[in-house]
Amino acid sequence: MNKGLISTLQHYSTKDGPGIRTTVFFVGCNLRCTWCANPELIEPTKKLLYYKQHCIRCGTCSKLEPHAIQIFEDGCHIDRTKLHNIQKIVECCPKNAYEIKGREISAKDLVNLLLRDKTFYEVSNGGVTFSGGDPMLQADFVKEAAQLLHQNGIHVALDTAGNVQWSILKNLLQDIDLILFDIKAIDPIYHKKCTEVTNEKIIENVKKIAQLKKDLWIRLVIVPGWNDDLEDIEKRFQLINSLGDCVKRVDILKYHNLGSSKYEQLGLKYSISKDTACSDTLVQQIKTIAHSYNVKINVDN
Amino acid sequence: MKQFLEFEPHTNDIDEERLTRLQRKMSNRVASICSQRAMLYTESFKKTTGEPYIIRKAKAFAHTLENMSIFIEEDSLIFGNQASSNFAAPIFPEYSIDWIIDELDGRNGSIPFDKRNGDVFQCSKKVKNDLYSIADYWHGHTHEDEVQRNLTDEIRQAAKQGVLHLGGISMSGDGHIVPDYPALLKHGFRWYIHEAKEKLKDNILSKEQIDFYTAVIISLEGALTFFKRYSCLLKEAEQKEKDPKRKQEYAQMAKMAENMMEGPAHSFWEGCEVAYMVHILQMIESNGHSFCYGRFDQYMWDLYQKDIINKIISKEKALEIITHMFIMNSSNNKVRPYGHTRFSQGYPLYSNLVVGGYTPEGKDGTNELSYLCIEAMNLTALAEPNFSMRYNKNTPDSLIRLAAKLIRTGCGMPSMFNDEIAVKGLVDLGIPKKDALDYCPIGCVETGVPGKYGHRATGMTYVNWGKVFEIVLFHGKDPKTGIQLFHLQENDYATYDELWQAWKTALKFYSDMAVESDNICDASLEIYDADPFASCFIDNSMKLGKTLKAGGCKYDVISQSNIGPVIVGNSLAAIKKLIFKEKKITWKQLMDAIKDNWESAESMYIRKLVLNVPKFGNDEDEVDDLVKDVFNSYLELLPHYKTLRTGKGPEISCYTMSTSNITSYVPNGFDVGATPDGRFAGSPLNEGCSPTQSTDTHGPTAVINSVSKLPNDKVAAGQLLNMRFAPGALAGDENLDKFVAFLKASLLKGIYHNQFNVLSSETLREAQKDPNNYRDLIVRVAGYCAQFVSLMPEAQEAIIARTENEL
Repeated sequence: MNKGLISTLQHYSTKDGPGIRTTVFFVGCNLRCTWCANPELIEPTKKLLYYKQHCIRCGTCSKLEPHAIQIFEDGCHIDRTKLHNIQKIVECCPKNAYEIKGREISAKDLVNLLLRDKTFYEVSNGGVTFSGGDPMLQADFVKEAAQLLHQNGIHVALDTAGNVQWSILKNLLQDIDLILFDIKAIDPIYHKKCTEVTNEKIIENVKKIAQLKKDLWIRLVIVPGWNDDLEDIEKRFQLINSLGDCVKRVDILKYHNLGSSKYEQLGLKYSISKDTACSDTLVQQIKTIAHSYNVKINVDN
Repeated sequence: MKQFLEFEPHTNDIDEERLTRLQRKMSNRVASICSQRAMLYTESFKKTTGEPYIIRKAKAFAHTLENMSIFIEEDSLIFGNQASSNFAAPIFPEYSIDWIIDELDGRNGSIPFDKRNGDVFQCSKKVKNDLYSIADYWHGHTHEDEVQRNLTDEIRQAAKQGVLHLGGISMSGDGHIVPDYPALLKHGFRWYIHEAKEKLKDNILSKEQIDFYTAVIISLEGALTFFKRYSCLLKEAEQKEKDPKRKQEYAQMAKMAENMMEGPAHSFWEGCEVAYMVHILQMIESNGHSFCYGRFDQYMWDLYQKDIINKIISKEKALEIITHMFIMNSSNNKVRPYGHTRFSQGYPLYSNLVVGGYTPEGKDGTNELSYLCIEAMNLTALAEPNFSMRYNKNTPDSLIRLAAKLIRTGCGMPSMFNDEIAVKGLVDLGIPKKDALDYCPIGCVETGVPGKYGHRATGMTYVNWGKVFEIVLFHGKDPKTGIQLFHLQENDYATYDELWQAWKTALKFYSDMAVESDNICDASLEIYDADPFASCFIDNSMKLGKTLKAGGCKYDVISQSNIGPVIVGNSLAAIKKLIFKEKKITWKQLMDAIKDNWESAESMYIRKLVLNVPKFGNDEDEVDDLVKDVFNSYLELLPHYKTLRTGKGPEISCYTMSTSNITSYVPNGFDVGATPDGRFAGSPLNEGCSPTQSTDTHGPTAVINSVSKLPNDKVAAGQLLNMRFAPGALAGDENLDKFVAFLKASLLKGIYHNQFNVLSSETLREAQKDPNNYRDLIVRVAGYCAQFVSLMPEAQEAIIARTENEL
């Protein structure tokens, strides 16, 4: 039996599908979106997060791994490549300034946790959403968990960027009730600039899902300065329009910087400039385009 | 004016401008003290020396109603004043006097009424002189004096330790009742007078019964005179009034007042007026609080329907009348000693009014008035009435949704009661199903059967469980005061079971003592809080010829208030895991860290370990089960406790449990040192059965899952759960639908009740900085709401510290 590598469970999640849901965040992704709001979920490993605001500069951690951690007035400077044992670092800190994100769990244990909110799913027509990272990188595990959830009558949604072999995705579809599919850009070069990968597979996959008449929610994240080219946005709506009526909903996800502090906690650099925000004008332009392709959109606030 | 939630007016019957004026007036009102009642009661008492106490009280009540100043609120369709000016608190010298005299000018080390840091009262020179002039007459002859004479030394010591708190019951009246509104609206006061006279013709009555019936007659005649005085005043107002619409209203009101309660209430408007009048009359007779309206939408339904069918009023007019009636509740007031105010912040009266829920026949009773009341509360936007809603599996989604819209405004209301659990709780006490189905909240979250329950469904002696647990840790001795009242094993607890047995021993010791203290207060209240007016509207007072406190009530179910069960459970979990199971730390290490208030490097590290042990509210069985054990350890004790009225009349007499704790979790926390759950010395305890502030990190469903594991249906006097949502979590239709589903799921999960603050921390912080601009900010404090800016800083902080559930 495979174990999955997941980060947190988000209970009473209301944005990742219908009803009240629990979202499971998987660790590992094969895109590198510049704006990623969950940088702790990119590399498929456990991560050490450091919360500067909790740190009292006591030096306990630095005594344990002096070669990797140095204490300065502004907090601990950590060279994560040199750390031997992140578990010990977490344990030694008297103030909970370190946290490990990422844990291995069996599908059965995960599902038992998820079933605790069964009443809430049932009353609200909600369920469970697998998100991440990209859960598709742990497809066997997702399949097992999804099947267990279905045995319990729970609605299952999959939030994916779709950058995987069609055979893998196809094999999973019968165990998924709803796909939340992210489209970042249509032009492959433009896509690569934002995510470090091209998108031929992604576009092919979403078309194939539509051919199988699987329910789809398309999610368009819009990041000014990165993927807000109106021509490309128009192409995204062309694509959506071509997918037909299996597209049940289209969400515009306006860029937010809530993930930026995580970069600091992980010792990573954040490349999106501080004042980046979707202007009302841009939203209005997107609405106009959507309207012209007869696509109804929801704009998240 | 505020927007309606959903209501669409089709006529001009709601005068929006005047409603705004009235609302604003109450929102900006300033509390003061009124001496009239005190002076009139003194005058009357001086003339009745030697007569039975209940007769003296009835005569003083009637004397006050005949002579106190009355006025008409110029923008209101509802009349009736409790004191000589808006939001003035009357004084009740027969209950207690010494603290009042002290606090007038800050004598004997007290803080003057007008210098408090919360619940401030202005007090004029004349009022002060009045009250000084009667001080000697009452000194030594009050309820408080009687209680103080009888309190045992042990109880005093336990109060010094900070375990017991007798604030309310030891110096003021009882309140916490709901009159049989359906019956009194149907009969009118004259009918009760007639009944009492008939009873008096019977010549086998006891002295107690004769006095009771006589006192009922005196009190009700006084009340009828009171109404007729308003009629005269309204006629005068009519003559002076130039505006034709208002002139006509005055004429109608004058006519209404003239014969009010000589017979049944004739119209919906009159019904609302009577409900309000009975409410304030109870609050002139006694200075208890939590005099409640009960199931307003149910008992007003017939009058409403009749007037609508006969086109006497429109739906719009009905909404206007209800809103005026709701708003007028904020004109009343109560002053408490400053020491007790800390437990009861924000000028609360806890005048609960509930809509929705099953009928006594078991059908869902939702009607058009249920919806109108929610709309009215939205327009009222004040802390009173304490607005609640009952719901069950058959409640229409549309009503829950409307309630959710009101909750979303951030006013903290309605608080939501789960019929399935509350009814079961009452049935398990032996209350017939038909009556249990008719329950209502009385005050905050305590529930009882309207018209049949005696005083104090909850709010007897307060027991600080945080302190009890601290005393267990120190083997029976309170580390702060050094007082030791009993002994526990002197060696460190070597097993979890030893610790648990010590907790049970300590809990029993203090609970027994709390019952003793209840009895001492009750014995005195039976005399000093003799309340023929309030009693006669509750079964079986008129039948038995005695006040509720003497055994006249049909159901005598009372409870204390237990504060901090989660602090105890979380502490037990930390000890069990770290010391006994994983043996990561020793007992001594933990105790050193606690004594050190987690400050040294080593203590800090131990605190970190403690914080990493799961906390209640995150759906973790290992700790939730321990909190449940804590509840059960108290429930086990209850069958052994008796009230003073057992065998003296009530069909059911017993104790039950309640976690309704008003703001006591804040001052109770002041007295308790650091606890093994990681809490710092002096910080608040957890509130009701809610998770300790900020320790519920797994979202609202996990809180519900944790609470659902508790024996909620055994906490038959109310299980308090308070949650906070970020405003964004309820914004928009989709989120609202999800919140409605959340409420419905909570119902199925067996939550007793739930209430919400939907406010961001930023808003609350802004209000702290700029109180004058946030006078309209109403928040859920505990089982009641209050103006945020009127709360003392510590209570404000405790509200901000509640986990804000964002999405």
